[in-house]
Amino acid sequence: MTLALKELLYSKGRFIMIGLIIVLISWLVFILSGLGTGLSTLSTGVLSQADFTGIVFEEGSEYSLSKSKISGSLSEEVSAQEGVSDTAALSTFNTSIRKAGTANSNEKITDIVLIGIAPDSFMEPDLVEGNRWNGSEENQVIADISLENEGYAIGDSITFSGTDKEVTIVGFTKDQTLYHQSSLYVSMDKFRDIRFPNAESANGIENVVSGIAVRGEDIDMQALTEPGSGIEYGTKEETINAIPGYVAENATITMMLWFLMIISAFILGVFFYVLTNQKTHQFGVLKAIGGSNGFIVRSVISQVFFLALISILLGIGLTSLTVLILPETMPFQLEAEMVSIYSLVLLGISILSSLFSVARISKIDPLTALGRAE
Amino acid sequence: MTGIQLKNVTKRYKENQFEITALEDVSVNIEAGEFVAIVGPSGSGKSTFLSIAGALLKPTEGQILINSNDITHFDEKKLSSVRLNQIGFILQTANLIPYLTVLDQLLIVKKMQGSVSKADRIFALELLKDLGLANKENKFPNECSGGERQRVAIARAFMNDPDIILADEPTSSLDTKRGHEVVQQMAEQVKMRGKAAIMVTHDERMLDYCDRVYRIVDGKLTEENHLA
Ligand SMILES: Nc1ncnc2c1ncn2[C@@H]1O[C@H](COP(=O)(O)OP(=O)(O)OP(=O)(O)O)[C@@H](O)[C@H]1O
Ligand SMILES: [Mg+2]
Repeated sequence: MTLALKELLYSKGRFIMIGLIIVLISWLVFILSGLGTGLSTLSTGVLSQADFTGIVFEEGSEYSLSKSKISGSLSEEVSAQEGVSDTAALSTFNTSIRKAGTANSNEKITDIVLIGIAPDSFMEPDLVEGNRWNGSEENQVIADISLENEGYAIGDSITFSGTDKEVTIVGFTKDQTLYHQSSLYVSMDKFRDIRFPNAESANGIENVVSGIAVRGEDIDMQALTEPGSGIEYGTKEETINAIPGYVAENATITMMLWFLMIISAFILGVFFYVLTNQKTHQFGVLKAIGGSNGFIVRSVISQVFFLALISILLGIGLTSLTVLILPETMPFQLEAEMVSIYSLVLLGISILSSLFSVARISKIDPLTALGRAE
Repeated sequence: MTGIQLKNVTKRYKENQFEITALEDVSVNIEAGEFVAIVGPSGSGKSTFLSIAGALLKPTEGQILINSNDITHFDEKKLSSVRLNQIGFILQTANLIPYLTVLDQLLIVKKMQGSVSKADRIFALELLKDLGLANKENKFPNECSGGERQRVAIARAFMNDPDIILADEPTSSLDTKRGHEVVQQMAEQVKMRGKAAIMVTHDERMLDYCDRVYRIVDGKLTEENHLA
């Protein structure tokens, strides 16, 4: 162990080179992973951040809230199904907003997703700023904090395009985005008021909602979702995967990440191999004075371990610094869990890539120490 | 019986179709406390002899006994342990580990055996002092002179308190004066600590320090009786 450290300290230059590669790779891996998480929150946040088991949709809507319209009164029936412990109605509507009183000026218009929920249901997001809406006041909305970057603040009145209805922002939540747009939470009644100003637009469905989110364990929806019943059920995962573009986006970043890891394994492998080759004579000397293969291999692996560990920690440090200078609007979200997983993977890869060299070391003849078998 | 014994050792190298007999039917017996020299022309088989005695190379025929213990058919793992615990090898060029200080060069031997105790540290410092290396313990090899390096290598060979000391031309990279110093110190250590020692050398002036001299020509070993 100490042998490894002593060499690290003595031949700093050489090891700083390899360390730098690991630092850069881990930096890139963490940035990519943060970007991936950020992007997927941007496209799925409202659903992925919420704690639910699945959603009941209209049949044929392919688990897409925007294509689905069912009656809110189905809730009772849904609650009665096996395994269901709680339900919460949910509606979504893609629209755009602008600040109230600016209708005719060139004031900026922002695309958002309007989300209708029942106040106090489990779909209500946690606040990071401001107050919860109080039940009697229908005109209150909770906005995703990303709208702050668009110039909105608590107390602002906003209007929706196509109507003259006005609401007021009372609180901010975070990471509640959907389809790459900020969300705006309103009570279900207000939602209907904005989305379906007249009865026809709701297709005559009473109490219309997009879907009903359910919570529970071992949920069995078979009885309710027979073909022809007009209802289908998707798990949380299915619902998230049905969000347009999400799977492709996610797969691309994941693929980039793993390719990066594989490439780095090869680069590091070659580096360690060259390094080992340069030290053939030294290893021969160690063997000639009685060093066992185990001793030498342990020392080499612990060296790679220390080097990789330090470099990855530096990579994490660099990533944290990068986060500070990233623009607010950049979808970037670093999760401790992801960072630890990728750190372990990188550490594993570094050690794995030194195994070529280990195989080489065990073949070195102690006679090389005599300087004869070149 | 202590010391090292080679019985009818023959070593043939196969190179393409040719076979080179580097050692032919060599038998010697060196007791603890004896300092023996091997001389001979280049290519006569001196290094081969030493490698076989040092458990680095296996003979084609014959037996090697260390303290009456037949090591001829040991596997690599056991041989490595023989080298670690019973043999001190002083290589042709000092062959120190570049990133270890003089003191660590000695302690690594202990580390390979398991762990380094306080007594080991004291012993190492004592060895260094005996070899005139007091106050050099924190230097790196590239900060030492050739003679100093060679003496560190000698100290290292004694560090594991081996039964056998083997030296392959320990003076080849030194000037005459330093060469004499180094060999003299080696002889002192051998006598003081009761080791069986074999030194290969080109330099006939070093023979005065030795108890016996063997000459090797074309792989054949004969004892010389000219010392008097
Ligand atoms: N690995 C090997 N393969 C084939 N032949 C070898 C090998 N090692 C040594 N030889 C041959 O065996 C003979 C003895 O070699 P050895 O190295 O023992 O000589 P030496 O007496 O140490 O010479 P020098 O004084 O030059 O070091 C030489 O003819 C050499 O070419
Ligand atoms: Mg030789």
